[in-house]
Amino acid sequence: MSIRVFRWRAIGPLLLFALLGAVLWVLFADRIARRSAEKIGTAIVGAKVEIQALHINLANGDVTVRGLTVASPHEALKNLLQADELLADIDVLPLLEKKIVIDRLAANGLRFGTPRATDGRVPGSPESSVSGRVMGEARDWAQRFQVPALQLATGKIDVATLDPRRLSAIPAAEALSARADSSRRAWQTGLDSLRLAATLDSATATLARLRTARATDLAALNEARRAIDQLKQARNRVTTLERRVTGGLAELRAGVAGLDSAKQRDYAFARGLLKLPSLDAPEIGIALFAPTAVAQFQRALYWTQLARAHMPPGLLPRADAGPPRARRSGSTVRFPREHALPGFLLRTAELSFQLDPTASPPKSYAGRLTGLTSDPALYGRPTLFEASAPAVTAGAMLDHVHATARDTAGATVQGVRIPVFQLASLPMRLDPGQGTVQLGFTLRGDTIRARWAVRSTHVAWARDSSASGSTVTDLLWRTLSGISDLQVDAGVTGTLTQPRLSVRSNLDEAIAARLRAMMGEEVAAAERRLRAEVDRQVDPAIAPVRPRVTVLQTDVTKRLAEQRGRLDQAQKDLEARLRELTRIRLP
Amino acid sequence: MLTIVKLLQSLIKALHSEGTPGQLAAGIALGAILGLTPLVSLHNVLIFALIVMLNVSFAGGMVGWALFVPVGFLLDPLFDWIGRTLLFTPAFTPFFTSLYNTPVVPLTNFNNTVTLGSLVFAVVFFVPLYFATRWAVTRYRATIGERVRQSKWYRAVTASKLYNVYRLFRPEA
Repeated sequence: MSIRVFRWRAIGPLLLFALLGAVLWVLFADRIARRSAEKIGTAIVGAKVEIQALHINLANGDVTVRGLTVASPHEALKNLLQADELLADIDVLPLLEKKIVIDRLAANGLRFGTPRATDGRVPGSPESSVSGRVMGEARDWAQRFQVPALQLATGKIDVATLDPRRLSAIPAAEALSARADSSRRAWQTGLDSLRLAATLDSATATLARLRTARATDLAALNEARRAIDQLKQARNRVTTLERRVTGGLAELRAGVAGLDSAKQRDYAFARGLLKLPSLDAPEIGIALFAPTAVAQFQRALYWTQLARAHMPPGLLPRADAGPPRARRSGSTVRFPREHALPGFLLRTAELSFQLDPTASPPKSYAGRLTGLTSDPALYGRPTLFEASAPAVTAGAMLDHVHATARDTAGATVQGVRIPVFQLASLPMRLDPGQGTVQLGFTLRGDTIRARWAVRSTHVAWARDSSASGSTVTDLLWRTLSGISDLQVDAGVTGTLTQPRLSVRSNLDEAIAARLRAMMGEEVAAAERRLRAEVDRQVDPAIAPVRPRVTVLQTDVTKRLAEQRGRLDQAQKDLEARLRELTRIRLP
Repeated sequence: MLTIVKLLQSLIKALHSEGTPGQLAAGIALGAILGLTPLVSLHNVLIFALIVMLNVSFAGGMVGWALFVPVGFLLDPLFDWIGRTLLFTPAFTPFFTSLYNTPVVPLTNFNNTVTLGSLVFAVVFFVPLYFATRWAVTRYRATIGERVRQSKWYRAVTASKLYNVYRLFRPEA
């Protein structure tokens, strides 16, 4: 019995099934594409991407998106952008390679920073999503900046506990005292070892015999000369000891002087324990504006790093997380090939946007984006963005063509509504009104250079009614509320791992001068208290050392002088008697 | 519960169909590919077309699919490992690069670790599964198959309306 291989009568149902699939495609392709676009967009941005309508016309290679809303990944109730309509002219054939190539995109009615009713952030876990990982890295980077708190709200000066173990004068005094004792013992031993008493006794006895001797008594004369030699040797030993003592005493005196230096150091250390409000203008700038400035830089870093993650340099295979599904997603590996099309390429986009939708009438601007691609090495040119209009200049270049990525972005917007600043550490708000905002951001490899500047000439101040006022804040309020212009310049330089932040503003010097005037006397009083505390702890240790060294110096010097005097006197007596005996007397 | 009942129904029908043990085993083995690999993949359209077009047991294909879906879920970590190993083997990179840049092929999601790993596993598993199933069906029919066919509940199953639909795709002798 032969069995047929094909079931020909199933062709009909199979064709019917295929037809059904085609009908379903016609009916649901737009919906499926819209949901896929929302899902992919949300995964890339790290915030909700919503599309009201999406229509694919494969015959003409057109895709139309209406009502695009991209939520901000940084602010809960704010959109990153909204677009009325996006018209994309796509290449159809690359779709067969699962590649999306958009020749031209026209984006109309773009609006930035519009409010939204619900939180659009999608917190992705750092392990499973690129946006979650990049967000975490940007947050960690921002936390590297130690922003000092400006303790102006109370203006209180605090003094930490002075730990005697950390004072240097006390151990120095103890060491000097011990050294004085050991020197005294050493010198006493030296004096004893001179054996001067025996030499002097011998000289005295010789002198006594010499008084009764005659000039012809040669033995007595020789004995006298030997005694004089012994006296000279003894004096040499005394001289040697004197040199040692002089050196030792000089060291002890230096030690005493060192106690004064140690005490000065202790004063300086104690001053360091004063928790003073910062009086330096640059530090005040950092304390006031660093949180806002760092937030701007953090956002710029997030978008740059996100671009690097999705537009990596090089042609090596690389893995991304697979599509979300009930089963394990796995990883999807891309295999870019030279001279082939990138997985995604947007050749040109013409953007029409509004920066301040609340303005009446809203001002429209135009921009152009070229070469946005998932494989910059294949495309071979950097991604460029430029927008210019009266009062607006913006540009960006993402150059991931080579191994070391170079990303640059800059924008200057004039006459834009600047958000209100809640000044850190101060119970007051600063409303800059309309002004100029500049942002420059460059990331070469991991070397960062960024600048954020704000200029305004119509500043309005508001004081928090809930905060309790202190003398300091009252005075600062009077100082600051009279300032009508604002100039803030913030910058970051260095590497991503070791960034350096600087912030300057025209408010800094005003606050610093006012603080110096107000806090100066209080600071001086606090310093006096600390010096007194240092004296109280150090002086009992230092006080006995100084007289001990003085007494030792006097005692040793005196004893050495006495010994030397006795030796000199004995030698003098002997020499006089010798001269007397040996003098030639003429008849 | 209904799914399990339907699965049993399909299994019983398939076991007692007019098809040979080889046709039933081939259907189950092809259905296993559907179950082991992620369903929404282009290669599964081809597998489904084969189940429909080839003279194999359609019910066997559906049973194989249903039986191996949970197995696929369980073995996903293994598939992920197999796919990752293959895709990141430098010797295969030129081959995969060619495939990746060939029209239509990327639509199969072959470059996904789980998809590739499960497909490779299912293809390798196809032959032993076919022979094991064919032997098992032969043994079943030779031992207790006839008694089951005579039972009341079997007649109840075969009398249902679904059976008529099934007959459209039953293997032809």
